[in-house]
Amino acid sequence: MMEASVDREARSPRDYFELFQLPADFDLDSEDLSRRFKVLQKQFHPDRFAGKAPAEQRVAAQLSAELNAGFQTLKDDVKRAGFMLERLGVDLKALEREPVDGDFLLQQIELRESASMILSAEEKQRDPQAVAALHESTHALYDEWLSAFRRTIADGELESAGRAWVKLLYLSKLRAELPPVQALETS
Amino acid sequence: MVLMQIAEPGASETSPEGPRKVGVGIDLGTTNSLIAHFDGDRLSVLPDEAGAMSLPSVAYYGQAEVIVGDAAVVLAAEHSADTIASAKRFMGKSRDEVSDEGYLEFADEGMAFATTRGPVTPVEVSADILRALAFRANLAGFDQLDGVVITVPAYFDDAQRQATRQAAELAGLPVLRLLNEPTAAAIAYGLDSAEEGVVAVYDLGGGTFDISILRLERGVFEVLATGGDSGLGGDDFDRLLADHLTAAAALDNLTIGQRRGVIACARGVKELLSEQISCTVSLDHIVAGTGEVVVDRSTLNGLCGELVNRSLDACRQCIEDAGIEQVDRIILVGGSTRMPLIKEAAAKLFGREPLTHIDPDQVVAMGAARQADLLVGNRGKDDLLLLDVIPLSLGVETYGGLVERLVHRNTTIPVVRAQEFTTARDGQTGLLVHVVQGERERVEDCRSLARFELSGIPPMVAGAARILVTFQVDADGLLEVSAKEESTGETAHVVVKPSFGLADTTIAEMLRAGYENAGTDMQARQLTEARVDAEQLAAGIYAALKVDGDLLDESERGDLLSAVQGLEATADGDDVEAIRSAVEHTGKVSELFAARRMDQSIQQALGGISLEALEQEVGE
Repeated sequence: MMEASVDREARSPRDYFELFQLPADFDLDSEDLSRRFKVLQKQFHPDRFAGKAPAEQRVAAQLSAELNAGFQTLKDDVKRAGFMLERLGVDLKALEREPVDGDFLLQQIELRESASMILSAEEKQRDPQAVAALHESTHALYDEWLSAFRRTIADGELESAGRAWVKLLYLSKLRAELPPVQALETS
Repeated sequence: MVLMQIAEPGASETSPEGPRKVGVGIDLGTTNSLIAHFDGDRLSVLPDEAGAMSLPSVAYYGQAEVIVGDAAVVLAAEHSADTIASAKRFMGKSRDEVSDEGYLEFADEGMAFATTRGPVTPVEVSADILRALAFRANLAGFDQLDGVVITVPAYFDDAQRQATRQAAELAGLPVLRLLNEPTAAAIAYGLDSAEEGVVAVYDLGGGTFDISILRLERGVFEVLATGGDSGLGGDDFDRLLADHLTAAAALDNLTIGQRRGVIACARGVKELLSEQISCTVSLDHIVAGTGEVVVDRSTLNGLCGELVNRSLDACRQCIEDAGIEQVDRIILVGGSTRMPLIKEAAAKLFGREPLTHIDPDQVVAMGAARQADLLVGNRGKDDLLLLDVIPLSLGVETYGGLVERLVHRNTTIPVVRAQEFTTARDGQTGLLVHVVQGERERVEDCRSLARFELSGIPPMVAGAARILVTFQVDADGLLEVSAKEESTGETAHVVVKPSFGLADTTIAEMLRAGYENAGTDMQARQLTEARVDAEQLAAGIYAALKVDGDLLDESERGDLLSAVQGLEATADGDDVEAIRSAVEHTGKVSELFAARRMDQSIQQALGGISLEALEQEVGE
């Protein structure tokens, strides 16, 4: 029988910024990233190597998989942030195990409680105002920590950037679990 | 063909040495099947001798012969047990997974239909349909097919896909790829309009419902999300209407043949009600003395409402998975989408008038033909690239019967994902890796794909061993799983093969017989082929070394050269196996060189190109 290890994902050997020939900055133009991704996939996707030597096909498949992984990592704010830390030698798993400050946790518990309160009701019975308010406060917190990460990573403050990343991780999980936004009834 | 040459995007590769290769696309449908071809310019469906485009997916297994298509449909009423329709619904399923639908007779053992010719499996039925389609390619003047792309519902799981591959293998067709049906439809429309944007494909076939959302941008088709319901299709509408007709005409105790007759009648009524709002039907030809029944479109809509709503739920989920706000175009695929109820429901949900200008029955085969042409190696000006996704999540069983997912559904392929696991017990020296597919938390609710064991783990306390499990899904959607114990380097791996079907001994036997009957001149051909492979590989490496030799240092270059020289020496002999393994070895040695060359061309593709220039280049 096997058990999921604490040490979850294998570290990626590729520098995705280098792969897409982009500067290793947190701010990135997602349109530009998508363009680069597509130019490279059009050239290196295994479908482009039909009838070529097997060795070449294997290398192309590997590169194409790296392009997919790199694109998914860089286009997502939280994954990109994690990747930047990892790239600078930060142990993300150790970071995740560190205790999170109490105020933040309390805030998370409150937000989660109101989310589960809303979710326990039928979709039609939910108060659209309450749903909107919950989304708003979660997004505000997310933006706040995103700015904190952007500032600290640029200044090379890895410890602060790491703490901001952990909070973004919490918040992005919460965002995925929020009840869907409902159309506010216009009177 | 110059090997090792890395093409610039848009560079012409249209100077093929030798004739254009022949790739065909096949839509292996639940009720109808088609075969189409792309000649570099035009897409066309290949007809039979009589000019019919679609082939009913029905086969008759009588004493003397196997009959496929329209002629089998004619025989269905009188020889119901020997006439198999909708075999696709049973592909890759075990006997206890399919409900007894009251009009099919199953063999006593295994997943097979009982016929006069003995048990016939769904894979065999599909193979017979594929043979009939391939014959149409012969009629069109293609003596040999270089590659075939067969479409499957996006929601097909691994067992269903493997069963489809087997059917093709049994029919002697070289399958290059199984392509998701909605994606194929999108490709056909993408070529047609070349308009960029987000496309939703609503595909209601005879037996399955698929929804896919794609983005076409800069010649790249990116599948954003896919979903559906593998147990929902036009056949279900027919059965509901048949039940209604049976009740309205006060019929009971119908035989299997009569029941089928009513279903066929219901299908006719359903199709008629797409054109008119009411019709009168007589079941007198099925049960003598039955009166006429009047059916309104509103009655049909009432019967089908719940099924249509199920399809809309799947659409909403897919929109959410794709993470998009709105779609620019909606494409309807499959004969059932001719129903006004469905057109209206899809238009309302997506807020767009659906596109239907390519025949919804032909669009899937056409898209598959386009992809087949690309995959056999023909290149055109308007090269579309398809970035497909895996439809169902892949994971392993962990302690307590839970599933740890490594690759989530809707992940773009090819993909490589690795994760570390550890042992659950003290002193555990072996690890069973159980690979599963599905979205549920518990192993018993997912489909088991493969099991293999990693042994030779040094005894340690629970949780101390580090075992790296790697999932690799290639562009064909085929999965390879490996496990490695990191302190000893002990490894084990498996290429996931079907858990149903290939384990089915009758099919395994048939496949083996097929190979053995291939004849003795095989050997001579194999030797020639192996030598050609060797020569091409060596020539390619020499040519590449001439251009980019400086990417390797002296010792690396020496290794590669000695491998190539060894290869050339082996190819002078006539040991097929030795030549093949020398090709394999040289290929492996050359991977480093190939990888460096590709890295170098990344810089060429992107480096120094300003944003605007980049935009212009891909905008072409």
